[in-house]
Amino acid sequence: MNVLVDSVPYLLRGALHTIAIAAAVMLLGTVGGIVVGLLNFTPWPWLRASVTAVVEVVRAVPLLLLIFFIFFGLPALGVKIPTFPAAVLAMALWMTVNTAEVVRGGIQSIAHGQFEAGRSAGLSEIQLMRYVIFPQAVRRMIPPFVGLCTILVKDTSLAAIIGVFELTRAAQETIERTFKSFEIYLGAAAIYFVVCFPLTRLGQRAEARLHRT
Amino acid sequence: MTPAGAGFSWSAIARGLPYLLEGAGLTIMISAVAMVVAAILGLALAALSQAPGRLARRLVAAYVEVFRNTPLLIQIFIVYFGLPQLGLKLSPFLSGLSALVFYAAAYNTEIFRAGLEAVPRGQLEAARSLGLSALATLRWITVPQALRISFPALGNNLVSLVKNSSLVSTIGMVELMFVANDISFNNFRTFEIYGTTAVIYVLLVLGLTRLLRVAERRLLRAA
Repeated sequence: MNVLVDSVPYLLRGALHTIAIAAAVMLLGTVGGIVVGLLNFTPWPWLRASVTAVVEVVRAVPLLLLIFFIFFGLPALGVKIPTFPAAVLAMALWMTVNTAEVVRGGIQSIAHGQFEAGRSAGLSEIQLMRYVIFPQAVRRMIPPFVGLCTILVKDTSLAAIIGVFELTRAAQETIERTFKSFEIYLGAAAIYFVVCFPLTRLGQRAEARLHRT
Repeated sequence: MTPAGAGFSWSAIARGLPYLLEGAGLTIMISAVAMVVAAILGLALAALSQAPGRLARRLVAAYVEVFRNTPLLIQIFIVYFGLPQLGLKLSPFLSGLSALVFYAAAYNTEIFRAGLEAVPRGQLEAARSLGLSALATLRWITVPQALRISFPALGNNLVSLVKNSSLVSTIGMVELMFVANDISFNNFRTFEIYGTTAVIYVLLVLGLTRLLRVAERRLLRAA
C-alpha cells in the first residue's frame, strides 16, 4: 500500500499525459470526423462510395494494429515516425473514422421532411446543412460521441505498448522499480476510472435528455 | 533472403499467410468462446439485477461501471501480472481469455439489462394473470423477448471483441496479432505482414458484420 502511495505523483504525471494525448486526438479526430462524415452528403456518388468504403475498412482494423502499422510498418517504406506522433496519428485516424460514422448516422437520422422543407424554402444545399440539418443532428451525435471519447481515453493506454509515456507506461515503469504490479495497475485503473466514469455519466445524461424532448 | 526494405515482397506475404490464417482461426475461436461465456455471465447478472432488493442491483452496477470505465489493457495486465502476486498464477491463454470474458460481460450485462427493461410491462402482467411463476415468466416470456431486443447490440459487442482480442497478444496469448508480431519481428517485413494482417481483420470484421445483419433480419422476420 505504501508503495502505491509513494508512486501516486508519478502516476498522476502519466495521467496528465494521457489527458493531453486524448485531448489532442479528440481535437484532430473531431475536425477530421466532421469533414469526412459530411463527405457522405456531397453530390458526387463516387466520392460518397469511396468515403463509405474507407471508413468501413479503417474502422474494421484494431487500433493496436493501426498503431503497429504506422510505427513498425511505415519505416519499411522509408517513413520513420517517432513513438509519440505515431501513436497520436494512429489514434487520430481511429477517432476520425469513428466520428465520421457518428456524424453520418446523426445526419441520416433526421427526418426526410426536414430536407424537403429546407429545399422548398429555397435554401442551397450548404445552407440547408448549415442551418437546418446539422444543428438538429448534432444533438443526436452527442451521446455516441461522448461514448467514443470514453473509449478513446481508455485506448490511449495502447500507446504504452510502443513506449509512449502516459498513465499505463508510468505504471509499467513504476512496477519495474517496485515489482508491485497488482497495487500499481489497480491504482492506474482507479485513475482511468476517475476520468472515464464522469464521461460515461455525461453520455448517459445526454442520451436521457435526447429521449425526453 | 532479400535484405529488409528492398522493395515490396510478395513472397514474404506468401510465406507468412498460412501462419496468419492460423492466427485468424485462433482469433475467431477465442472471440467465440469469450462471447458465449460473456453472454451467459451477462444474462445471469442482468437477471440478478432485476431481483428484489437494492444490494444485487448495486453490486451488478458496480461491476459494470468498473469494467467499462477502465482500459481492457490494464485489466489484462492485472490478471496476468498482478494476480500472481496474490498467489493466482494463470497461463497467458487463461489470463487473456478471462480478461476478455469479464470485459465483454460488463457490456453484455448492460445490454441485457436494457433489453429486459424494454419488454413491455403488459407482457409481465399477462404472464402473472396466467399463473406463471416469477422464474417461469423470466424463462418463457421476458428472456426470449429481451434476447431479440438485445441482438443488434450484442452483435456490435462481438465485433468489438474480435478487434479487442488483439490486446491479449501483449501477454503472449497466441492469436492473429501475436502471429503478426512474431513473423514481422523475425523477417522485418513489417509493412507487408501488418498490411496483410489488417486485410485479414477487415475481412473477418466485415464478414461478421454482414452475417449478423442477415441473422438480425431473419430474427425480426421470425418475430
